[in-house]
Amino acid sequence: MIRHWLRDPLAHFLIAGAVIWAALALAGEPVDPASRTIELSRERQAGIAFGFERMMGRAPTDAEMDSAIERWVREEVLYREALRLGLDEGDAVVRRRLATKMDELAGAEAALARPSEADLERWLASHPDKYREGDRLTFRQVYYSSESAAARALASRDPVGEPISLPAEGVAMPLAQIRGTYGEAFTARLAELEPSSEWRGPVASGYGWHLVRLETRSAGKTPQLSAVRDRIEADWQAATIAERRQRAYALLRGAYTVAIE
Amino acid sequence: MTKTLGCWVALAALALSGCDSMDTGEPTEDQRGDGTATIELAEFPDRPYWGDTHLHTDLSVDAFGFGVRLGAEEALKFARGDRVRSTMGMDAQLDRPLDFLVISDHSDAMGATRRLYDTPRILVRDPTLRRWYDMMHESTNQSTMAVAELITAAANDTIPEALMDPERQAVATRELWDSHLALLDRYNRPGEFTAFAGFEWTLMPDGNNLHRVVMFRDGSVKTGQVVPFPGIDTQPEQLWDYMAAYEANTGGRVLAIPHNSNLSNGMMFDLVGPDGGAMSADYARQRARFEPVVEATQIKGDSETHPFLSPNDEFAEFGVAGWELGNLPLTREATPDMYAGSYVRSALLRGLTLEQQMGVNPYAFGLIGSTDSHTALATGDEDNFFGKQTNVEPRAGRALASQNLGTRQGRFGWHYLAGGYAAAWARGNTRAEIFDAFMRREVYATTGPRMVLRLFAGHDFADSDWDGDWVRAGYARGVPMGGDLVDRGRAPVFLVSALKDPEGANLDRIQMVKGWVDANGVARERIYDLAWSDMAGVRRRVGGTIPAVGDTVVRREASYTNTIGAPELRATWRDPDYRPGQRAFYYVRAIEIPTPSWVLFDAKRFGIDLPAEVVEANVIQERAYSSPVWLKPGRSPGAAASPAGRE
Repeated sequence: MIRHWLRDPLAHFLIAGAVIWAALALAGEPVDPASRTIELSRERQAGIAFGFERMMGRAPTDAEMDSAIERWVREEVLYREALRLGLDEGDAVVRRRLATKMDELAGAEAALARPSEADLERWLASHPDKYREGDRLTFRQVYYSSESAAARALASRDPVGEPISLPAEGVAMPLAQIRGTYGEAFTARLAELEPSSEWRGPVASGYGWHLVRLETRSAGKTPQLSAVRDRIEADWQAATIAERRQRAYALLRGAYTVAIE
Repeated sequence: MTKTLGCWVALAALALSGCDSMDTGEPTEDQRGDGTATIELAEFPDRPYWGDTHLHTDLSVDAFGFGVRLGAEEALKFARGDRVRSTMGMDAQLDRPLDFLVISDHSDAMGATRRLYDTPRILVRDPTLRRWYDMMHESTNQSTMAVAELITAAANDTIPEALMDPERQAVATRELWDSHLALLDRYNRPGEFTAFAGFEWTLMPDGNNLHRVVMFRDGSVKTGQVVPFPGIDTQPEQLWDYMAAYEANTGGRVLAIPHNSNLSNGMMFDLVGPDGGAMSADYARQRARFEPVVEATQIKGDSETHPFLSPNDEFAEFGVAGWELGNLPLTREATPDMYAGSYVRSALLRGLTLEQQMGVNPYAFGLIGSTDSHTALATGDEDNFFGKQTNVEPRAGRALASQNLGTRQGRFGWHYLAGGYAAAWARGNTRAEIFDAFMRREVYATTGPRMVLRLFAGHDFADSDWDGDWVRAGYARGVPMGGDLVDRGRAPVFLVSALKDPEGANLDRIQMVKGWVDANGVARERIYDLAWSDMAGVRRRVGGTIPAVGDTVVRREASYTNTIGAPELRATWRDPDYRPGQRAFYYVRAIEIPTPSWVLFDAKRFGIDLPAEVVEANVIQERAYSSPVWLKPGRSPGAAASPAGRE
């Protein structure tokens, strides 16, 4: 029971909030909302220098540091004035950005987490279709610019075809690659054929007509985890991040009542 | 004070922590990033890989402002072929997946909201608490924000470990960029789909477009060591410094791709240096090193050339109307003297001239197309056009509607193109292979159709090469597109092949565009028709001209038939105007038969009557531009010619 309570994010939420407020109340220093003093602490300067270094891969020169500070101060002044004017309120970009940050925070832990072997096995077992490889075909094709020429050539045991810059054969070629190279119409017809030593056709394509000889077809199998580990890990992470975000949202959403007129 | 606070939070967190494992282990192959040794590679580049290097998502402030609510993840899904829901609620899917994608959100978009996405400092012990403290003292707004952050952190168990183990802070530092890079690594799948890290650097003095897309070769282990470089208050030389530093510090590679030179009012390909003085050899070298490729065609027009620059080019008007009027927001009109600095062909010519003067060519670039879509949907297809931005996703009347970039001055919806694609000749689909194809310029542009375009240059190619494995011969005895061919004192010979898009229109013709500097130092251009459909029949050349291919477009139906044109055009071509010692470039243009543009598809879909001139302007001949091959002087360069420009 206690354990359950300890793991309940809502409890974290409430207790941490209470702790912070208590701590701040104890701090008790005066608040000056109209402060127009910008203090550039050493930490802040280090932060600016670090920002430069992160971008340029080297420490800034004195002149570059001066101009970076100048830019920072400018932004800070405009930022503070904008807040005073309330420009952050009702700004769709700010609203969206803050919402995105919340999502990022919620998903961040999952982005760093590593799934266990069992997690991955479970994932693969529950999404077999997603990882099943497509069919692969081994075939030869010859090209004709006219249907009648292709039909005539069908009588030949060894049709020659006309020149075109398409591969004359595919060896265990995935359907997706066949589609990209020869087009949808050709691929659909080829996929319907049964392997045989005979030439068939004419098969229409975006280029003209073809005679084809489908030699083998290997049906796609669901791979072993080891073969698709990276992919599954990435998909597991994507799903886990989405789930974390949804949970975090549900938690926060639970504290709201929405009245739609 | 802060210390006390820190202890409070740490204690609270400790008590509540669920303590998930944060063991990061060794970097995975994906993180290592460039895909080397992950897949079996072809012996030589055996097929073009199709991609878009210029796509905006909701991380771009302008795209967001236009309404897009799809992010990088939806963009990646769409590009790899999944069906997604567009911002406006329509199902969106490519009829054929892309092979690679560069998401190029504006770095300044991120910069403008920098404060909001700065490293969440809740992960840093004392400074964080100090910041919260400061925020709470500053204003009520700030205070609310600080508390919101804190509570979220607590709710998500993110405070405790970071506070308990400062050494993990570096790992746990999460910025938008970092999580974006992690997302790219998750979607990058060697052999199937390549997701590149990148951003758009958006320099725009006075509205003149000097934008570049920056594209990284590497995974997050390297790209995570930098953040995107802002365009505001910076110059191209600083961008190159940034790129050089990235390469030196990480061992990674990065390149930049200028785009929309057509909206630069002559500044993109200037003859002079950035300060208006003579261009320095160092500037030229840097530019050549970091900008090997230019985006020649996209939604906001086509930058190949302009009828004013190429009066003898009957196909020069494509994608020029509307965009030629001036700079990006049309705050300044363009005058014809600016065009030479705004278009790609004239820039290639300027490059030859500058090379003659300085010994280095700043404008020796290859060509690609892309979309520049701001909808997170990378589609350049006429029958599947989702608009430049979200407020012009498919709906009745968008072709005639006002848009944001100078409509009142004469730029209309129908001036927007559906956008193009980049094709890369590579040995496999990995970051390394495709990036390297860009570096060696073995890439080409199309205005949307996926034609297969080959170009080899050598000295001894012959018609008989077509009977055998001509691609192998091309690589063995010549250079492919993007290469340099060293002059041997005799005319270069080219093998050129264009194969139509299997789902698209037949081809009208293939042409060689040659640019050179003549003996008087004058830059010249000429277009040679290499092959065309029905060459020996009804389209026999009469005098100097080739009869037009015809037109099968049914305007109201947005349809055409492939009863004209050819499925493939090939040529073996020897330059008839070669002179020993000549500096020249050669690129191929493959042109389709007339087809309907997205505007006619829209009119049919929504049942709109368009003005006749709009209809006619939207029967188009789509095309592909190869990267050039450069003919370089042999050991002794020709006698120095007078450095007169073409203009």
